[in-house]
Amino acid sequence: MGRYIARRLMYLVLVLLVITLFTFVIFYVLPPSDAALAAAGKLPTPEILAEVREQFGLNDPVHVRYVNFVRDIALGDEYGWPGFGISFDTRSPVKDEIFSRVGVTLQLAAGAAMIWLVLGIATGIVSALNRRKLVDRLVMGFALFGISAPVFAVGLAALYLFAYRWEISPGTGYFPLSEGFGPWFGHFWLPWVVLALQYAAFYARMVRGNLLDTMGEDYIRTARAKGLSERKVIGKHGLRASLTPIVTIFGLDFSLLLGGAVLTETVFNLPGVGQLIVRSVARSDLPVVVAVTVVAALFVSFMSLVVDILYAYLDPRVRYT
Amino acid sequence: MRSKRNVWIIALMLVLSLVAAACGGGDGDDGDTGQNGEAEGDAERGGTLTWESEEFSFTGGFDPVGEYLGEAWGVYTNLLLRNLVSYKHAPDAEGNELIADLATEVPEPSGDGTEYTFTIKDGVMFGPPLSREIVCEDVEYAFRRIATETLVAQYGNYYEGVIEGLEIGKDPGKGGISGITCSGDKEITFTLSEPTGDFLYRLAMPAAAPVPEEVAGCFKRAGEYGRYLVSSSGYMFEGSDQMDASSCDSLEPISGFDPDREQILVRNPDYDQATDDYRENWIDEFHHVINTNTNDLEQRLDTGDNDIVYTPTPQTLRKFVQDPELEDRLHVYSGDRTWYVTMNLNEAPFDDINVRKAVNLVMDKDGLLRAWGGANQGEIATHIIPNSMLNDTLSDYDPYPSENFAGDEEAAKAAMAESKYDTDGDGICDAPECKGILQIGANVPPNTDMLPIVEASLEKIGITLESREVTDAYTPITTVARRVPISIRPGWGKDYPDVYTFAVLFQGNGIACEGNYNYSLVGLTQEKADECGIPLNNPDIPSVDDKIDECYAVSQGPDRITCWGELDQQLMEEVVPWVPYLFANVVYTVSGDVTKFEFDQFSGTGAWSKIAVDPST
Repeated sequence: MGRYIARRLMYLVLVLLVITLFTFVIFYVLPPSDAALAAAGKLPTPEILAEVREQFGLNDPVHVRYVNFVRDIALGDEYGWPGFGISFDTRSPVKDEIFSRVGVTLQLAAGAAMIWLVLGIATGIVSALNRRKLVDRLVMGFALFGISAPVFAVGLAALYLFAYRWEISPGTGYFPLSEGFGPWFGHFWLPWVVLALQYAAFYARMVRGNLLDTMGEDYIRTARAKGLSERKVIGKHGLRASLTPIVTIFGLDFSLLLGGAVLTETVFNLPGVGQLIVRSVARSDLPVVVAVTVVAALFVSFMSLVVDILYAYLDPRVRYT
Repeated sequence: MRSKRNVWIIALMLVLSLVAAACGGGDGDDGDTGQNGEAEGDAERGGTLTWESEEFSFTGGFDPVGEYLGEAWGVYTNLLLRNLVSYKHAPDAEGNELIADLATEVPEPSGDGTEYTFTIKDGVMFGPPLSREIVCEDVEYAFRRIATETLVAQYGNYYEGVIEGLEIGKDPGKGGISGITCSGDKEITFTLSEPTGDFLYRLAMPAAAPVPEEVAGCFKRAGEYGRYLVSSSGYMFEGSDQMDASSCDSLEPISGFDPDREQILVRNPDYDQATDDYRENWIDEFHHVINTNTNDLEQRLDTGDNDIVYTPTPQTLRKFVQDPELEDRLHVYSGDRTWYVTMNLNEAPFDDINVRKAVNLVMDKDGLLRAWGGANQGEIATHIIPNSMLNDTLSDYDPYPSENFAGDEEAAKAAMAESKYDTDGDGICDAPECKGILQIGANVPPNTDMLPIVEASLEKIGITLESREVTDAYTPITTVARRVPISIRPGWGKDYPDVYTFAVLFQGNGIACEGNYNYSLVGLTQEKADECGIPLNNPDIPSVDDKIDECYAVSQGPDRITCWGELDQQLMEEVVPWVPYLFANVVYTVSGDVTKFEFDQFSGTGAWSKIAVDPST
C-alpha cells in the first residue's frame, strides 16, 4: 500500500503539471482580450501600457512566463506560498483571496454533503426495499426532479418562498460562525438544502440501483438462509457492498465542490471560491482564474487518491501494490 | 413505517413548493412621499445607508490615482476625499458648478491665465491613523503620484504637459515639479505651460486630492494604496484607527475594505463640519456591499436590507414606473453621457461620408432606446455632446431627422445614392465592400438586443453586417490593428463638466495604436497608420484638431460652449464618425427607508454625503 500511495503521489505531481500547462495556455495564450488594456485606463500612452504589462508579468516570452508560473506555485513568490501573484482586479495577493474564500466554500460543501448523504442514502434504501410500491415511485419522482431542476432555479425559488414570502430564512449573504451560531446557520441552511437536493436525488437513484443488485446476490440468500435478521442482512451485508461505489462518487463530488459551487454561491451571495471565479472570469482577472483552476484540480486529484485508498479498506477484494 | 411517513412529508413539501413557486406576484410596499428628484420627509442624522451592487467596478484597486469610473468617484468626492475645489454634490447644472472645498476660495487665474494660487483652509485634517492637518505638500504629493509611471495614473494626460514640469516617469520628489510650488504649509501655486480654461475642473478630480506620503509612499505599484486609504473628508474606512502607520512594514490593509466583498465607511472623528459647506453627512455609516444575485438585491429594497439599486433591471423599473406608491422612490437624472454606434473612417464602406450619413438617416434609434429599456433610460441623441453639457444650445439640432426616430429609409437611400459604393445609384449599397461587414458588440444586454436592430436598419440600404458578441468588446475596438469597421459597444461620459472631455475622442494626434478611444480614427495620418501597422485606406479622413485647439483656448463661459457646439455640428455634418443614439440617464431605485435622496452630477452617482435614511429602521 505504501508503494501504491507513493506512486500515486508522483502521478499527482505529473497530472498537476499537465493541468497547469493547459490552464496557462487556455487563459494566457489563447484569449483575445488584453488584461493590461483594461487596467491602463483611458487614453493610455505606450509607456503606461508597457508599465502595466511589466507589473502584470505579461512582457516576458510565453515559455518564460510559464516556467515562472510553475516555479512560483511550487516555491512561492513575494506574497508567500503558493505563489499565485496578485489579482489584476483587486491588486491583492491571489492566495489571500482564495484562502479567505475556501473556508466559506468548505462550509457550504460540508453542510450540503451531510444532508445529501443522509437524504440520498436513506431514500435510496427506502426505495429499494419498497420496490415498485408508491413510496418507491415518489422517491424516484423526487430524484428525477432533483436531477433535472437547475440548481439556480431551485435556489431562486427557495429564496422567494423561504426568505421573501414566508421569512423563514434571513436570505442571502454570509455570516461567519464567530458572529453567532444563529446567523451562521440561518444563512447556510437554505443553500445547503438547495445544493444537496441535486446530489441527494442522484445518490438515491444510485443506492437504490446498487442495493437492488446486491440483494439479488447469492451471499445475501445464504445470509437469509442462515437465519440472520433482515436488518442484519441489509445493514451488514447488503449495504456494505452497495455503498462502495458511493464512496468513490462522493469523494469526487465533494472535491469538485471545493472548487466552488458556482451557481449556489452566486444565488445566495456566499463569498466562496465559486463566486470568486465568476467575478474573475467576467473581469478577465487571469491570475485568479488560473489559480482557482489549479487549486480545484489539486482538490480533485488529491481526493481521488484518498477515495482509492478508502476503497481498499471498504472492499477486502481490492488490494494495491 | 417511520421511513414511509418521512417520505410522504418530503413529497408533500415538494409538491407544495412547486405549487407556490408557480404562483406569481410580489408584495407591494409602502412608498415614500417625496417629490421628483428628492425624497421629502425630515432628514435625520444617523442610520446606515446600504448600497448593494453586483460588483464594485473599480479600475485601480481603489487607489484614487487609478480609479476612472463613477462608482469610485462618488464615494471619493462625497465621503472620503476633499480636493482644493469640488462640487456641490447636487443634480443638473448646479451639480457641475465648482466650489471651494479644501481651498478658502476658487481663485481666478493670473493675468496671462497660467497661474492659480490657493490658500488651504485651517482645520482640515487627515483622519485616523494620522489625525493631522492637511498641508501644501500633501497636495503636491498627489501630483507626484500622478507623475509616477509605476502607479499608472488613469488620466495623467490631463496634467502632463499642462502643469509645468509634470512629466510622467519616476517620482520627481519633493519640489520636483516646477509648476507646483508651496509657500509655507497653506499656500500652493500651480503654473501652467499655457492657459487651460478647464484647469480648475481637473483639480477637482480624485487623483488631485491630497495624499499623505507617510502612508501612500510605501506603495510603489498601481492599485496597492487603495486598501490603506487615509480619509480627508467626513468618513473613513472602518478600522482606519487600528492601522499602524508607524512604518511601512507595520501597515496592514484596513479591515473596513475588502475588495471582494464590501466597503464599510464610518464617521471620521477628525472631520470638522464647520469647514465644509456642501456635504451634509446625515448617515452614520455607508455600506457598499457586493451581492451577486441581481434579483435578490432588488428584492431587498422591499425589506430595507438594501437601500439603493443603481440601474435596476427592466422588470424592476417597470414595477416602479407603474406603481404610484413607488414612483417617488424612482430617481432619474441626466448622466452627461452619450451612447453611440462608431464607424471606422478608414474601413470600407464607412470611408465614404455619404455612407455614414445614410447610416445616420436609416438607424432605428427608437428601437435602440427600447432595447435599453425605454424612455427612462434617456433621451434620443441627435448629436454627439449631451445637451446638458452644452446648456441646451443644440437641443433642437437634428441633422438626420426621421419620424419618431425610427429611421428615414428614403432619405438614407438618397444619401447612399451619392456614394461610390452604390454603383447604380438606386440607394442600395451594392459593392462587395457592403457585404458581410464585421460588427462588434458585448455579449450582454442591451448590446445583444441592439445588434439585430442595427443589422435590420443597415440592411435597408444594402449593408449587411456579421455581428459578433464578445466578452471584452473594448479590446478589439481599442486596438487599431484589429480594424473593426463598426461597433455598438461604445459609450462615453464626461470626466468633468467641460466638453473637452468628449473632444479627446476625436483628436487625431491622440490616436493610440493600443488603448485607442478615437475608434473612428478621425484625423488619422499616414504616419500614425504606419506606426499602428495598418494601411491608410482613406487618405481624406478629416481632422478636427484645429477646432479642438481653438475651443480649448477659450476661457470658461458662453463663448467656450458656443465653440464646442460648433465642433459638434462640424463633426455631425462634415466628419460623421458616429451614430449617436442615446443621451443616457442614470436611474436609481431606493428603499422606503431613504428619507432624502440627492444626485451627484459630477460623479453620476448618488450624492452619498446628502442622502439620509430613517435612523430607526
